[in-house]
This record gives sequence, structure tokens and C-alpha cells, in this order.
Amino acid sequence: MSSPSQPGRSALVAKLTRPVARPMAATYRWVDERMGISDLTHQLLYEATPRRGAWAYSLGSATLIIIVLQIVTGMFLLWTYVPSTTEAWESLNFIEHHDEFAAIVRGMHLWGAYVLLIIIGLHMIRTFVSGSYKKPRELNWIVGVLLFLMVLGLGITGAMLPWDQAAYWTAIVVTHVVDYIPLLGNWMQQILRGGPQMGPETLTRFFAIHIWLLPALLVPLIGLHLVLLRRHGEHGSWVNYEGVETEPEEVRKERMAKAEYPYPAIPSDPGYAVPVDLDDFFPSQVFKDAVVSFALVLIIFIMAVVVGAPLERAANPAALNYVPTPEWFFLPLDQLLVQFPQAWMIPVGVFVVPGIGTTLLILVPFLDRSPEREPWRRPEVMVPALFATLFLIFEALLAVNRLFNL
Amino acid sequence: MSVPTLIAAVSPHLVRVPISTGVASALVALLMLAHIQFAAFQQGGYIILAVTDFLGWKRKDERQTRFSRGLVVALGATFAFGSALAIFAVLVLFLGLWSQFFVELVRIMFWPFVVEGIAFIGEIVCLYTLYSQWDRLANVRSLRVGLELLLFINASIQMLAIDVVASYMLTPRPSNSLALNLINPTEIPLEMHRFVGNIAFAGAVIALVGGIRILFSRKPEVRAHGDWMGHYGLIYAIGFTLAQPLIGWEYAKEIQLHAYASWYSMMLGGLSVAFLFQVFLLGAIFTVGIFYLWRRVKLGGYRSPALAVCTALSFASWLLISTPSSLAWSYENVVAANANLPIWQGGLIIPWGQMIPFKLVALITFTGVAIVALTVYLKHVTKGNLRWGDAGRAQGAALITVGVAVSLIMALMGYIREDSRAPFLITNKVLINQQQNFTPPSSAGPALNGPSSVGIIVPWDSVP
Repeated sequence: MSSPSQPGRSALVAKLTRPVARPMAATYRWVDERMGISDLTHQLLYEATPRRGAWAYSLGSATLIIIVLQIVTGMFLLWTYVPSTTEAWESLNFIEHHDEFAAIVRGMHLWGAYVLLIIIGLHMIRTFVSGSYKKPRELNWIVGVLLFLMVLGLGITGAMLPWDQAAYWTAIVVTHVVDYIPLLGNWMQQILRGGPQMGPETLTRFFAIHIWLLPALLVPLIGLHLVLLRRHGEHGSWVNYEGVETEPEEVRKERMAKAEYPYPAIPSDPGYAVPVDLDDFFPSQVFKDAVVSFALVLIIFIMAVVVGAPLERAANPAALNYVPTPEWFFLPLDQLLVQFPQAWMIPVGVFVVPGIGTTLLILVPFLDRSPEREPWRRPEVMVPALFATLFLIFEALLAVNRLFNL
Repeated sequence: MSVPTLIAAVSPHLVRVPISTGVASALVALLMLAHIQFAAFQQGGYIILAVTDFLGWKRKDERQTRFSRGLVVALGATFAFGSALAIFAVLVLFLGLWSQFFVELVRIMFWPFVVEGIAFIGEIVCLYTLYSQWDRLANVRSLRVGLELLLFINASIQMLAIDVVASYMLTPRPSNSLALNLINPTEIPLEMHRFVGNIAFAGAVIALVGGIRILFSRKPEVRAHGDWMGHYGLIYAIGFTLAQPLIGWEYAKEIQLHAYASWYSMMLGGLSVAFLFQVFLLGAIFTVGIFYLWRRVKLGGYRSPALAVCTALSFASWLLISTPSSLAWSYENVVAANANLPIWQGGLIIPWGQMIPFKLVALITFTGVAIVALTVYLKHVTKGNLRWGDAGRAQGAALITVGVAVSLIMALMGYIREDSRAPFLITNKVLINQQQNFTPPSSAGPALNGPSSVGIIVPWDSVP
């Protein structure tokens, strides 16, 4: 029941704000007529999404938000960071000891990278388990895997930029491992190092890869990922398609005919073009995306303030007793490296095994072509994937154990 | 009377327990190997229970719910017996026959033992709540599954605590720091080895019971349930055993790096024949298990060339991995006979019995074919190609073979690991032959310096 005083109050507010509201509305109309902002906003916000399991679908948006955070914090760091072997460490040391704001920004950049990798991993697991890569979304899965690989590349190149002991010896290991690639290894090593030995050019090259090459590839791919997502709509998971395999043909056709934008996703397996129960992207899904993203950014901020980003002593090529420890997301690869102790076997451990794994990951949509979406009805991909996941976890744990007990 | 004074007073009255070290070793070995079988079944069984009950709930599968009920009864009964064995081992055998070792161990690993004791109480509470209130908890299914998970967590904490102790005994850190010794070089590999192994073992026990029902029950419905049980347990047994080649390899690698004498004893020394028998059993688990999958699918009326190839590859790997590296009990015998040459040159060495690359290739093959075989088999299951109750004597025998092999391998592994430390009980710290030679402490240590001061009082004689 409305209050009798409400109309009067609304009229008063309208009267008071009229001098500002009218010109603003006119300005917006003028801009909108020329740029189509209203249409664009409508297109971006008003679409249908699957209703059930919606919190799990917020991982994709969270990934995007954290990537934006990485770009912004990276830009801030460029104001102070000097990409040279003589001044890189000095500039970061200055940040750590004389610029509290920049130190927090640096911490957010580091923790943002860590959280980003975890969230991308969870996003990929969610997509995999729910069979969201199936037609017509195969290309989007491939783009997603490429994005994941690029983020890994950004992670490892970023770890070399501080040019402290950890960064220097990580660069030594990484560029040394490349040398094991048959035929091309030595050439690739020289490209990365900028010569036969580590030197000033090595840092410059990794810096260029980190801030130019990989982002230049990453941003268009993100755009493509989003375009494809909008084209086919969110698949959701099997809970949104209960009973579709046994529904009568007429019911299915009616569901297809009444599907809201961006559905129906075509071509698709029978019954899977439209989720059974739909919800609005705005405000329902946007709210969930915002909550998850905000919580993650908050965690990143807290970690940046409380833990910060480490900076070891300046790089010292003469410190031969220094034991480099890889970033946590490269622990499985590091363990594989030591599991193949003989020189001729190292390429098998660090290139062939991960290479086969990555290729299979990219080819998943083409290996699993059955219409089933429930994970327990897709053992042909779930069993190997489960083993691969356990393998990575075991390798990481074993690497921790080995490094701790050196 | 202070504790040191008490010890000084009672020392003349202490007597040596009138049994030899060999008999004492055998008693502890028998009891602890039996306890390990029960404890492993508990720890692995709890997670199978939670998963099965959850699936039965969510998929409204009465068979899984019925199986969960049976499993909780079995776990309750085995828990009581297995715990009694452990308590008897600690109170009588360890304190009575191996007191110096056990007191030293408790002094260093006091907190892990405390944690284990607390988790043990947690296990009792959860298990017997489930055991006695099963039907009532059916009305609050989420609570029941939650309790089952809590039970698994409690058992896992106990396993972690005892793994810390067991791994410490093999590869202690030079430091006396508890924190450093908690993550000693073999702790994480042992933890992983047992975590995976216990689930595989529990699955194999379930498969064994299923096999017995297939072979010996006359009621068709019991045989049908046994058939399903056997298949269900075997999935866990194969699914988790396939990770063991990798984890076992890493575990052995850490032993090689940090306790070389033990590693040498296991791989090339006096225990190498036992170790060879262990990998023979591993081959048996894979080969017989995959053979079961192949024949079980065929019983459903479906030919599976992929499973046939997997069985053949597994059999070939079994032969390869079971080949001894020499025709001698240990490498010392080969060297002593001056016969470090291939057999075709008059020596005792069998080149294709070497670890690298032959046994390594066999291990990798086991893992690979097990993944493929399990995937193909599960696809048939999800398509509804199998009817429960079709299994015959061959399937029953295969399930029992896998169960017995897994049980034997568990016992053998314990024997090998414990014996590899000889002559030490704790590597480089406590000797086996120190145990029966008690010398009273010459000076008073700190009052109640852990339980070490009182733990060595053996009440076999009159104590004033």
C-alpha cells in the first residue's frame, strides 16, 4: 500500500531535480541517437541463461574481471618498473620499501595471477564436467584452452621480471629446458635469451612477451570467447536438461519455437538446444557474477595487503648454490623434469607428455561426440580426465616434498 | 617419589621378557599386519560408503542404498576387531617387548599420536552413530552422508598421523624438530601411496565378498547382488591401483635418495625376492582384473576387442615385470659368484628383468591399459549392456583372486618396508638388538620427560 504523501514527494523531487535532469536526459538522448547506447546495453544485458546451477556459471565472468584487474594493476606497475637488468630489481625494491600504494598494487598483480589461474582451472573443470564443450560450442572450448595456455605463459614470463634471485634462476631453468627440444632447441633458446648467454636482452624479451605479445593475443581471443558465448548462449549443465531425451517431439519443437534470445543453440544434439528452465541474465545472473567477482577481488586485495609480493635479493649469477623453486602452477612440470633424469629423456617429460596432454585437451569436443551430458554417462572422457587431474595433483605434491627435503 | 628415583628403585626387579627377538618380531609383525588390513579397509571403506550412499540418495538407487547399509555393518564389526588388535599391540607387545623403541618413538612423535587418539574418538562417535541410527538417519539423508564424510576425514587424519610416524622411522630428519620430521622425505609419498591403496584395498575386499557370493550362494537374488557388488568393488580396486605405479615409483625414489641402505635391501639385497613377488602380485591384480572386465562385458553379449587387447597387453606386462633380474637371491650372490654377466655369457643376469627400462615399461603399460579398460567397461555399464546375475564361476574366481592378491600385497609391503630398515627400528637411531638390553638411566632427566621414563617399566616382576 502506498503512502498518501508519495505522489507529493515524487512531484517535489521531480521539481527540484528538473534543472539538472532535463539537460542530462537531453544530452543522453543526443549521444544515444548517435551511438546506440540503449540498444547496446539492451543487447548486452537482456538475454536468457539457464536457471539451475547459476552460481557455477559466474566463474567465467570472474575470470574476465580478474583479467581486467591484472591489466589495470600491470599498467600501474609500469609507471615505476624499469625493464633492465641493472634497474628492474632496484625499481621493485623502491616500491616495496618506499611506496606503500605501489606495493599493494604489486601484491594485487601477483595474487591476482594466482587467483586467476585457480578460477580459470575451476571454470574449465565446470565446463568439462557439464559437457558444455559439445556442439555447437566446440570452438569456444578451443579458444578457452588457448586462453588458459596464454595465462600460464603470462604467469611464467611475469615471474622473471623482478630480476631477483628467484626470477633469474627461473629464467635460467626455463631457457635451459627449451634447449632440449630436438633440432630447434638451441635456436629457440637464443631467441629467448637474446644470445647464447643470459643477459640484458633476456629480460627485455621476456618483458616484451609479458606486456605486449601475449596480451596482444589474449585480448582478441577473450573477445572471440565472449562473441561465441553470446552466439550460442550458456549451456549450463545437465541439471538444466532433465527429461529432454525422452520428451515428445512436439514438446521439443514448441520449446525451440518459444526459446528466448540467444537460444536455440544450433546445431545441437536433440533436446539440448534450449535449457528447460531459463532465467534473465540481468539482473539475476549479473548479481551472482558481481557477488563472486567482488569476493574474489576482495580476497586478492586482502592477500596483497597481508602477504604482499615477495622480492628476494638481486639476481646474482655467481650464487651457484641457489636452488630455484618454480611457481606453484609449474610444480607438476618441474616434477616431470626430474622424473626423466637422463638428458635424452628430458624432452619426453617436459614436451612430449605435456604436449600430448594439451593436444588431447584441445581435441576433447571431437573425442567426446556422444549426446550425453551427465558426467557418469561419459566415462570415455571422465575416467582419463580424472586420472590426469589426480596425476597433476600428485606430481605437485611430490614436487613440494622433493623441494622441501632437498 | 620422583620418577627417576622410582626407575632406579625398580630397575633391579625388571626382567627380560622370556622370548627371543625373533619371536617378538614375529608377534608384532603378525598383529600389525592383521591390524593394517582392518585399518586400510576402514579408511578406504568409509569413502566408498559416503560415495555409494550419496549416489543411492541422489539417483534413488535402492541397490546402492542396500549396499551402503551392509557396508556400514561390516565396517562397524571390522572396526571393533581391528581396533582391539591395535590396542593390544600398543599396550602389550610394544610396551612389553619393544619398550625402548616405542618410548623413544612416542617421545619424538608425541603430538601425532595425540592427534591420532582424538581422531580415533571422532571415528567411534561417527561410526557407531551411523551403525545404530542408520534407519532414522534415512529421513535426514544429507546428515547421514555428512557423517560418513566426517568418518572418512577422521580415519584420514589417523592415517596421516601414523604415516608421519611410519615414514619417520624409515627416513628421519637429522633434526629433532617435530615440524621438520613431520614432512620427512617419505611422508608425502607414503601418505599418497596409502590413501590411494586403502581405497583400492577396500574395493578389492568388496569385490572378494561379491565373488564369494557368486560362487557359493544358491539364491539368484543374492548372486545377482554379489555380481553387482563384485563389479562395483573392482571398479574402485582397479581405478585406484592404476595410480600406484607412479606413486610407488616416486616413493621408492625418495627411499633411494634418503635411505639408500633400505632401498638397496629392497631392490637388490635380501628383500629383492619379496619385492619381486610384490610386483608379481601387482601384475596379477591388473591382469586378472582386466580379464574380468573383458569377460563380464562378453557375458552381456558384447564383443570388445579393446578389452581383449588390454588383457593381452596386461598379461605381457605381467610376464615382463615378474622376470627376476638375476638367477640369485640377491645381487651380492651374483657378485660373490663372479657372475655379473648375461645368462647367455655364462652369468646370472637376466637383462630383460632389469628395472630400467623393462619393469618401468611394464608399470607404465599397466597404468595405460587399466585406464583404457576401465573406460571401455564403464561405457558398457552406462549403456546398460550388463545384466546383474549373469556372472559365472570364472568371474567369481577372478574377483576372489583380485581380493586375495590385494590383501597379500598389503601384508607383503608392510613386511618389506619394516624389514628394510634392519638392523634399525628407527633408521640410524634405534637398533633392533637394543630392545632386550635394558640399562637404567644414569642421571635423572627432566621430570616426566614425556612417557619415556615410565614406559619402560615392564610389570613382569614384583614392583615395590
